Amino acid sequence: MPIIEVDNITKTYRAERGVRVLLGRGGISSFLRGKRSGEVTALSDVSFTVEPGESLGIIGANGSGKSTLLKLIAGVTAPTSGGVNVYGRVASLLELGAGFHPMLTGRENVYLNAGILGMRHAQVDAVFDQILDFSGIGDFIDYPVDTYSSGMYVRIGFAVAAYTNPDVFLIDEVLSVGDEEFQRKCRRRIGELREEGKTIVFVSHDLGIVNTLCQRVILLSRGKMITRDTPRKAIDFYLRQVGSEKGIHTMADAETEAIVCDGRVSLFHNHQEVTASSAMHCRVFSLGNWHESHEADWEVIERGPKRCVAHGRYSRVAGIVVWSVALEGDTLEWSIALECEEDSNVERFSAVLLFSPRYEQWVYDEETGVFPGILPEDMEWTHVISPELVCNEAGLIPEEGANLPPVAMSIQGDHPAMSAYWANTDYMTGCRALRVDAHLAEQGEQLSAGRHEIMDVRVQLDRPKEALIEQGQRRTLAIGPLGARFERGRISLTYDGEEITDSLCVYASLLVGNLWNDSQTLRWESFEKDGDRLIFTGASRRFPFRMHWELYPADGALGIEIWLEALEPLDVQEHHTSVVLKYAYNRWERDDEFGEFAEIGPECTDWQHVNANYAPGRFAKATGPGLPTVTLEADPDRLPLRMTFINTDHQKRARVLQALRSPEHGALHFDTGRHLYFAGHIGVDKPV
Amino acid sequence: MSEPYYTNAHQNQVRRVIPELIRSRELLMDLVWKDIRVRYRYASMGFLWAILEPLFMMLVLTFVFSYLLNIRFDESGITFDATSILAGLVAWQFLSTSISAATRSLIDSRNLVTKVGFPREVIPLSTVGVACVNFAIGGLLLLILCTVLLEGFLHPTIIFVLPVFLIQLVMIVGLGLFLSAANASFRDVAYMTDAVLLFGFYASPIIYPIDMVRKTLVDVDPLLYKLYFLNPMAGLITAYRQALFDKQFPDPAILAWPLVFSVVILLLGAYTFRKSAPTLADKL
Repeated sequence: MPIIEVDNITKTYRAERGVRVLLGRGGISSFLRGKRSGEVTALSDVSFTVEPGESLGIIGANGSGKSTLLKLIAGVTAPTSGGVNVYGRVASLLELGAGFHPMLTGRENVYLNAGILGMRHAQVDAVFDQILDFSGIGDFIDYPVDTYSSGMYVRIGFAVAAYTNPDVFLIDEVLSVGDEEFQRKCRRRIGELREEGKTIVFVSHDLGIVNTLCQRVILLSRGKMITRDTPRKAIDFYLRQVGSEKGIHTMADAETEAIVCDGRVSLFHNHQEVTASSAMHCRVFSLGNWHESHEADWEVIERGPKRCVAHGRYSRVAGIVVWSVALEGDTLEWSIALECEEDSNVERFSAVLLFSPRYEQWVYDEETGVFPGILPEDMEWTHVISPELVCNEAGLIPEEGANLPPVAMSIQGDHPAMSAYWANTDYMTGCRALRVDAHLAEQGEQLSAGRHEIMDVRVQLDRPKEALIEQGQRRTLAIGPLGARFERGRISLTYDGEEITDSLCVYASLLVGNLWNDSQTLRWESFEKDGDRLIFTGASRRFPFRMHWELYPADGALGIEIWLEALEPLDVQEHHTSVVLKYAYNRWERDDEFGEFAEIGPECTDWQHVNANYAPGRFAKATGPGLPTVTLEADPDRLPLRMTFINTDHQKRARVLQALRSPEHGALHFDTGRHLYFAGHIGVDKPV
Repeated sequence: MSEPYYTNAHQNQVRRVIPELIRSRELLMDLVWKDIRVRYRYASMGFLWAILEPLFMMLVLTFVFSYLLNIRFDESGITFDATSILAGLVAWQFLSTSISAATRSLIDSRNLVTKVGFPREVIPLSTVGVACVNFAIGGLLLLILCTVLLEGFLHPTIIFVLPVFLIQLVMIVGLGLFLSAANASFRDVAYMTDAVLLFGFYASPIIYPIDMVRKTLVDVDPLLYKLYFLNPMAGLITAYRQALFDKQFPDPAILAWPLVFSVVILLLGAYTFRKSAPTLADKL
């Protein structure tokens, strides 16, 4: 039996209050002369039922009657015709803290408000501690609520409604108030209520939340119920039917359809949505706040069957976000620029691409991996890839049986400080997310007036899955049980699938002008494969040099050659190539000496050389109980290097094998051109 | 099929009023307490003011009417003292404060009414409840004052004020419901109510004895005297005084009209209110 029955209801309002007509200069005279202002039909002939435990979303443009419908279910007002039956107690979160009296204490207001929602005192007593706990108000509970901040007001209001244990919850846009932490809490609580089998009716503009929270969605338009369907279909329908409005444009080509809708780009392939939640959108950071693109006022300036240009204006950010979106075959080009009429405070910019959780494998340049599952306790995003890295080619591979195409993306941007990462979103959003960040200006600096091209994102839906997987594994070298994977300036090593390197892996660093330039910080922009040989080229963002890393199999070991290409004459104070191993490695050995690594206690705040004498040598070897032996070998005939062992600081807690080169006096001078930086190999052998 | 917890079909059924009010009795009490607590919350003497205020008023009036105005009525041979005036005043204030508060109550609680669904009757009723508490305080002070001033005042017949009070309460509830609903549609009602109450104060035997009215009006036309009693407060105040000072059950002839009036106005008020309750939120 349904818990809510809405039977053919119509609701009309008079556009007046009392006798006095509020529209125009009506008054007693126009009333006497029989002038009546028109009636407004908020809802007409709406019927549906909600089963117990169902969560129903109501979506629609402003003024489509969503809130009226909620009020009718709440019994705030009665329909003009038709019937509403609710078989259970209703708590409406129409407005948090409605009915709070500012002079009463929080405690008194909790009882009063719960009473208004239909609870008896004894029932409130039972949940009072939970309410207090959820609200986080603490001792303020016995202060009058007019001493509360607006955040506390909302928190206690939500807590009361959320714990009064009604059968039906009506939620109207409440999730748009309060800080992020509180919103997360609210979402979690709503999730719990749903698990508890409560019936939820939910009104929101945030299609993402509606999509994840609701089982069924009603779409209203101008008071009429257009459709009642699964969230996905209702949202699709919504995005399509409003396609003629000013911020919305739809394009289709081949099997792909793209909908640009008020600060979002949604992608469909064979009528399946590839994106999810807020789809592809962007956010700008200005004066301490992030501003989401859907908060802006969007207008499509140019419309074409396969191309459009949309402008988004924020009320609180100087500058216009310009999106050019073009669809060609199954490839979408999304170019983002920022037009500033005057100097602007925009410091950072992000593009966020949210995809269906049915994508299970990510590709990030030439790396690949499987997403972890998104669990109900995930309140935060879970990074899959370190957020500081740079990536130009990313991809997604759907799980078996998901009717979704593989996604290939390429990101182009001129900004020097651009980074990208893959992440799982929080549970409520429930998406795979690719976020691309660009630093436009340092804090306190202004972005100059004019047009700034920020980034171009190309999304391709017709790349075969195999090509993507191949791309993801291209930087990996398998030499027997030894696996070596190049990850932007470092090599991670595995032996029989077990990771043996620590977080820094194998990397190189050179000291120029008293600044260490780690290989991970270079811009690794090109990659070639020459037979068995992998060649990577990275350029420094700071100094005029490039590094070329060449990896190749060498008699069961990993051969490494590193070349330094000075673009201008360069003075290097010293440089090294290091293998950073797990802490469990406890013994070291080199040409003429051996010893044990000391413990790294909390007092170790600096890196410490372990061997007293670090004369030039041929090899550095580390062993540990049950661990494969790792040997860093250099070729002294080609380039003499000092072999040394280092304990890192307590925070990193790792062992380092290092091939160091430092001059006797002054600096190493590199003329313009290519110079050998390191030549040797890393061997990994069975545990001794 | 079981009974729905809420259905709009019930919203305007008058017979649902009583069960719904029983269901929300705690809320009604909460709202009454809220009003009382809020009124004196930030005063350092707090709730004491609820007693001090009427006490002070009574003392001033006793002084004024005993020593300055008492003479005139004595001359005409009618006994009328300060305690009689206070009795009339307490009864009148019960009516006037509750009616004027109830009339505005829906508008004042617009925040609640437009956001939460609950039996709307609770709102005007809670203001009547607050007035009842004030009436109880005023009545108690009056009794104490009378005991002090009048010899042999305390007498079991005081219990006879109870039926009179009940009739007045019924009338107040009826008027409160009717006027609050009317005021939601026509905001002029609140102002008209104030004007009528001001008129009613002088049209009721509060600061003058009913004997004086009889003397004056019966001489002119006995019908006028009957018309005077069309004001239910005339009968009620006279009945209060009979119960308090004449130590007798109030004259049924005097109480008959107020009783009929009260019952009719209650039915009318409850009916009108119920009929407009479902869409009250749209008018506020």
